[in-house]
Amino acid sequence: MLSLLIFLPLLATALILALPTSYRNSYKYIALVFTGIQFVLAGYAYMQFDASFTGINQEAQYQFVEHLPWIRLDLGTIGKLEIDYFVGIDGVSLPLLVLSAFVMLMAIGSSWNITKSLKGYYALLMVLNMAVMGIFCALDFFLFYLFYEVMLLPLYFLIGIWGGERREYAALKFFIYTLLGSVFMLLIIVGLYFSVTNPVTGAHTFNMLLMMDPANYASDGFFSQFAGHEVWGIPTRMIGFIVLFFAFAIKIPIVPLHTWLPDAHVEAPTPVSIILAGILLKVGGYGIIRTCYSIFPDAGLAAGWWLALIGVISILYGALNALAQRDLKRMIAYSSVSHMGFVLLGISSMTAEGVAGGVFQMISHGFLSAALFFLVGVIYDRVHDRDIYHYRGLAQLMPKYTGYVAITFFASLGLPGFSAFIGEAFVIIGTFNAESVGTGIPRWMAIMGSIGILLSAAYLLWTLQRMFFGETRLYGGEAWSAKLVDLTAREQLILFPSLALALILGICPFLVFDNLNASVINLVAMVRQYI
Amino acid sequence: MISITHFLIVSACIFSLGIYAILAKRNAIMILVGIELIINAAILNFVAFGRYDKIHYGGQVFALFAMVLAAAAVAVGLAIILNVYRHYRTINPDQITDLKD
Amino acid sequence: MLAATPHNTLLYAVIATVCLPLLAFIYQAVKGRSAQTGIPSITAIIGSLLLASYIAVQVWNQPPIHFQYSWFTLGENTFYIGILLNNLTALMLVLVPLIAVPVHIYSTAYMQGDAGIHRYWMYLSLFCFAMLGLLVVDNLLLMYIFWELVGFASYLLIGFWYTRESAVQANKKAFLINRIGDLGFLIGIAIIFSEFGTLDLHALFSENGLLSQMDNLSSTWLTAAGIAFFIGAMAKSAQFPLHVWLPDAMEGPTAVSSLIHAATMVAAGVFLLARIFPLFNEHALLVISIVGTLTACTAACFALAQYDIKKILAYSTISQLGYMMVGVGIGAYDTAIFHLLTHAFFKCLLFLAAGAVIHEMQHLKQHVQGDFDPQDLRNMGGLKRWMPKTAILMGLASLALAGFPLTSGFLSKDALIISTFEWASERGLVYQLIPALLILVSILTAFYSARLIFKAFFGEPRLPYFHGVEKHPVHEPGASMLWPMVFLGICCLFPLFSLNPFSSSHSWILSGLAVPHSFAAIHALHLLIPSMLVTGTVLSITLAWKWYAQDKYPLNAQSALMLAAEKQFYINEFNQRIWVNGILGIAKGAYWLDRHIVDGLVQLFAGCVQYISKVSSWVDTHIVDGLVNGLAALTYWLGNIFRQAQNGKIQSYFLAAFFTLFMGLLYLIFS
Repeated sequence: MLSLLIFLPLLATALILALPTSYRNSYKYIALVFTGIQFVLAGYAYMQFDASFTGINQEAQYQFVEHLPWIRLDLGTIGKLEIDYFVGIDGVSLPLLVLSAFVMLMAIGSSWNITKSLKGYYALLMVLNMAVMGIFCALDFFLFYLFYEVMLLPLYFLIGIWGGERREYAALKFFIYTLLGSVFMLLIIVGLYFSVTNPVTGAHTFNMLLMMDPANYASDGFFSQFAGHEVWGIPTRMIGFIVLFFAFAIKIPIVPLHTWLPDAHVEAPTPVSIILAGILLKVGGYGIIRTCYSIFPDAGLAAGWWLALIGVISILYGALNALAQRDLKRMIAYSSVSHMGFVLLGISSMTAEGVAGGVFQMISHGFLSAALFFLVGVIYDRVHDRDIYHYRGLAQLMPKYTGYVAITFFASLGLPGFSAFIGEAFVIIGTFNAESVGTGIPRWMAIMGSIGILLSAAYLLWTLQRMFFGETRLYGGEAWSAKLVDLTAREQLILFPSLALALILGICPFLVFDNLNASVINLVAMVRQYI
Repeated sequence: MISITHFLIVSACIFSLGIYAILAKRNAIMILVGIELIINAAILNFVAFGRYDKIHYGGQVFALFAMVLAAAAVAVGLAIILNVYRHYRTINPDQITDLKD
Repeated sequence: MLAATPHNTLLYAVIATVCLPLLAFIYQAVKGRSAQTGIPSITAIIGSLLLASYIAVQVWNQPPIHFQYSWFTLGENTFYIGILLNNLTALMLVLVPLIAVPVHIYSTAYMQGDAGIHRYWMYLSLFCFAMLGLLVVDNLLLMYIFWELVGFASYLLIGFWYTRESAVQANKKAFLINRIGDLGFLIGIAIIFSEFGTLDLHALFSENGLLSQMDNLSSTWLTAAGIAFFIGAMAKSAQFPLHVWLPDAMEGPTAVSSLIHAATMVAAGVFLLARIFPLFNEHALLVISIVGTLTACTAACFALAQYDIKKILAYSTISQLGYMMVGVGIGAYDTAIFHLLTHAFFKCLLFLAAGAVIHEMQHLKQHVQGDFDPQDLRNMGGLKRWMPKTAILMGLASLALAGFPLTSGFLSKDALIISTFEWASERGLVYQLIPALLILVSILTAFYSARLIFKAFFGEPRLPYFHGVEKHPVHEPGASMLWPMVFLGICCLFPLFSLNPFSSSHSWILSGLAVPHSFAAIHALHLLIPSMLVTGTVLSITLAWKWYAQDKYPLNAQSALMLAAEKQFYINEFNQRIWVNGILGIAKGAYWLDRHIVDGLVQLFAGCVQYISKVSSWVDTHIVDGLVNGLAALTYWLGNIFRQAQNGKIQSYFLAAFFTLFMGLLYLIFS
C-alpha cells in the first residue's frame, strides 16, 4: 500500500520518458492522473487509519507497515550490515502524507502553462513526488537518507532550468546549503549505526525505531546514553542532536540558516515554489520530530530552551523582514520563515498542545503558503512583475482574485475559522504551558511569539491595502490592465480546494488532531521522562 | 733472432692504425680499409702464433681462412658503401644518421 | 456528549439564532452581485430577534443553561464547543438583533444604489453572526474565535468603500489595533489554560467554579491574566490609548458606524469583562477603573473640538465606553451592562440621525454641484427647518446621552456614578478623583452634545446654497429611515428600563443581573448626585445655547489647545512616528541585516571556500602536480642526456664499444 503510494510516480516517470515528444501535451495529464491516484491512496490511508495507534517508537504501533530485508552484507569483523526496506506511518506522518499528495496536485495544476522541455519537467516532478512520499514513510534511517538525497536532485534542476533570472545562483545555493545539512546528517547516521544493534539479529542496524530504544545501544557505543562519551567536553548525544537538528533546521528553515529560502523561492517557477513551501519545509519539521527528538530525547530536552529561542527569533525576524519587502514573492518567502518558526517553537515546548499545534501549523502552512505562492504566480504569469508598489487598486480590475487573496491573507494571518489560527494559537498556548510541566521554556517566549501574529497581520494587511485597494494605478499602465484578467476556471479550481481545506481544518481541527493525538502524547511522554 | 714479441708489436701497430682509421676517418672506404688493417693485424698474430702448432699448422690455416673471409667482407662492404653512396650521395658516416632518433 | 438537556428546543433556538445571519451571509456570498435587496439579511436578523426573545424569556432569572459537545482532544485535554446561557447572555442576545433590525431596515434606504451593496449585506450578516456567536459560546477559545471574527467583519465594513484611501487606511488600522487586543486575549487564554487546564467559562467562573475554589492562586499571574484580557477589551472597546482606531473607523457607512462602532461591537469588550468578571482581582480592577476614567476624560475633551459630526459621536462613544469600564472596574458590572444597554439605543439613534443629516447634505452637494464636506458641522446650521423630526429625535438621543431625567441615560449613568462614589468613599480621598472626574465628563458630555445639536439644527444656515434656492433637496428622510429612528427614540425613554423614572435601583436589568457589590450603598447619594448632574447638564446646555445657537461664541477656535484637542493631542502622529515608523525602520534594518550580515556571512563563507579552493588549486597545480611534472622533467632531462649516445654515428658507437672493451681488458689485466 505505502510502496504503491511511494513508487507510483516512478511509473509515471517511466511512462513520460517512454512516450515520444510528439505526445508532449499528454505529460501533464499523466502526471495529474498518477498524482490523483496517489491522493486517493493517501485519502484511503487516512480513512483506514486507526487513531488509537501511538506510533513514534514501537513498530507494532505503526500502520501500513512494510518491513523487508533489503541489504544484508557480512562484513566480517566489522559486523553485519543490515539495511531494511521499512516504511510505515503514524499520526505525525499521516497528515503530512495527505498534505504532500494534495500540494503535489496543486503544483501540477499550476504547471499547466509551462512550455519549456515538458518531458524533463514532468519526469523530474514525478521523481520529486516519489522522494517526498518516501521521506514521510521511511522508518529506516538509510532509506530516509536515500529519499532525502533523491529529493534534492530534481529540485536542483527544476529551479536551475525552469527558474527566473538568477536561477543558477539560487539553485546552486539551495543545493549546496541543503547538501551541507545532509552531509552532517550522514555523519550522525553512521555514528548511530555503529552504536545500535538489532537485539534480534545482533547486527548493526539503520532501523530508526531501534535507535529510539536506549537498550539497543552497545554499552560503550558512541551515542549510548550510559557510556557518557564526551567530545570536547560536550556529551556525544548532545552533539548528535545538535548536528542532526542543524541538518533539518536548514530545511525548516531557521534564522540564520534561512538565506537560501528567499532566493530559491523567488527564482523558482510557481509550481516549485508551491512544493518548496508546501512540502519541503515540512520535511524539516517532520525530521526534527521523527529523528532529533525521538532518537535523542534527553539531549532534545536539554536543548529545548535554545530551540525555542531560535523559534521565537525566526518568528519575529521573518515577520520583520517580510514587512520590509517590496517583492511580493520575497515577502511571502519571509513570511514562511516566520510561520515555520511557530512550528519549531511548538515542538520545542514539548507539551501536547505545543507539538500538536506545531504539526497542525505545518499542515496549515502547507495549504496556505501553497495558495499564496500560487496567487503570486497568477499575476506574475500575466505581467511578469512582482513589485508591490507597481500595483494599486487591483480590486476593481480583478475582483475574484482580490477575494481569494484577501481570504488567503486573512487565513495566513491567523483569522479564527482558518487552520493557521488553530496552529498558532495552540503553539502559543502550549509554549505558555511549558513552564507548568517543566520542559524549561519560559513564558516570555510565548508572548514574544504572539507578537509575530501581530506583525503578520501588519505585513499582510499593508500589502493588501497597497496592492488591492484605492484607485487603480498600475506601473505598466493600459497594457497591464488589458493583461490583468481575472482568475480563470482552472486557477479557481486549484485555489478553492486549498482554501476550503484551510477553512474546514480551522473549523474541524479534530480531523487532524484525532489521528495525531496518540502519537503526540507518546512522543511527549517519551521526552518528558528525562525531566 | 726475431722473437714473437716483434710480430706482436708490429701487429699491435697495425691494429692501432686500423682503429685510428675507423674512428677518425670521414670516409666509409677508409673505415673499410681500417677494418682490413685490423683483420690483417689479427692474421699476423695467427701466423706468428702458428709456429707453436707445428703438426696441424692451425695458425696458417686460420690465417688463410680469415683472408678469404676478409676479402668477402670487403666485397660486401664495398657493395654496401656503393649503395649508400647512391642513396645519400655521400659516404661520410657522420652524415648518414637516419638511425638516429 | 450532551450535558443535561432538558431544553433541546432551546438549544436549537440558540443555534438558529446564531446561524441565521450566517446563512444569509453564505447566500449573499454565493449569489454575489445579483442579490442586492438585502431581504435575506433582514429576514435572518428578524428571525434571530424573534428567537432571541424566546430564548431570553426562557433563560431569564433561571439557573445558567449549559450545552457542551466535545470538539477535539489535544493531549489530555478535551476542548468543547458549547453554549452557556445566563441573564447576561440573554440580555445581550436580545439587544444585538434589536439594534441590528432597525439598522438593517435603515440601510435599505441609506445604501440604496451603492454599487457594492451586495457586499454590504454580506458583511453585515457576517458581523451579526460573529457578534451573536460571541455572546452565546461557553469557552474562551470559541469566544476568541468570534471575537476576532467580529473584528474581521468590522475590518470589511470600515473598508467598504475600498477605493477611498482613507477608508483602507482606517480599516487596516482598526484591525491592527484590534490585533494588539487579540494578543492580550490570547495570552490571557494561555495563562488561564496553564493555571487551570480548562477554558470553560462555566467551570471557571460559575459560583462554584475553579476560581472561587482556589484561594491561594499565584496572584501575579492572576493579575497578569486580568490585565491581558483587559488589553483585549481595551482594543475592542476603544480605551485610551488603543482608541485611535474608532474615530478613523467612521470612514465606513454611517449605518455600520451606528451598529458596530457605537452599539454592539465596541460593547463586546465590556461584555467580555462582565462575562469573566470573577477573574479580576483588586489590582486588575484598579487598572480597569483608571484606564476607564482616563478614556472618559480624554475622549470628552477630544469631542469638544471636533467638527465632523460622526467624529463627535465617535468620541462620545469612547467616552461612554470609559464609563462602562469604570463600572466594571469598581466591581459593579451590572451598572456597566445597564449603561451599555441604554447607550446602545441612544447612540445608535444618534448615528442614524447623523446619517440622515449626512445623507441629505450629500444630496444637496450633488444637487448644487458644490464642493463641501457633508459631514462637517460648520457647513450645517438651521437644519431643523427642513428636518424637524430628525432634529427632535436627535435631540432626544442627545438628552439621553447627557443623562437628562426621564431618559434612559439618566437611569444608567446615575446608577454608575453613584456606585462609583460609593466605591470610592470606602477607599479614600484619592479614589474620589474618579467619580469627580466622571461628573465633570458628564457635564462635558452634555455640552458637546448640545453643541452638536445647536450647530447642526439651530441658528442660521451657514452654506449659501440654502439662501435663495427655491427648491433644494434637503428634507426629512423617507419612511424606511425614519421609522427605525422613531423606534430607537422610544427606546431612549425610561419606561423600557425602569418604571420609576428617577431611580435606577428598581430597574429589572440591575435586579436581573444581581451583582453583589463589594461596597455599601449610601442612600444620600441617590438624591445628591442626580440633582448635581441635572444642574450641571442644564447649565452646560444653556451655555452651549448661548454660544452656538445664538452665535455668541467667545473663544478662539484656532487656539493651540483647540487644535490639539481636535487632533487628539497628536496621538496619531505620535503612533505613526514612534510605532509605525519605528517598526518599519526595524523591519528595514532587519532586512539590511538579512541581506548584508546573515546572507553576507553565507556569501562570505562561500567566498572563503572559493578562496581556499583557489589556494588549493594553486597548490595542486604548482606543488602536487609540480612534483609529478618535476619527476617527468627529470626523466626527460636524463633521457636527453643518454640520448646523446644514440647519435646514429657508427664511429662513435664503435668508439664506445672499443672503449668499453678496452676498459674491460684493463680491468681484467690489473685486477
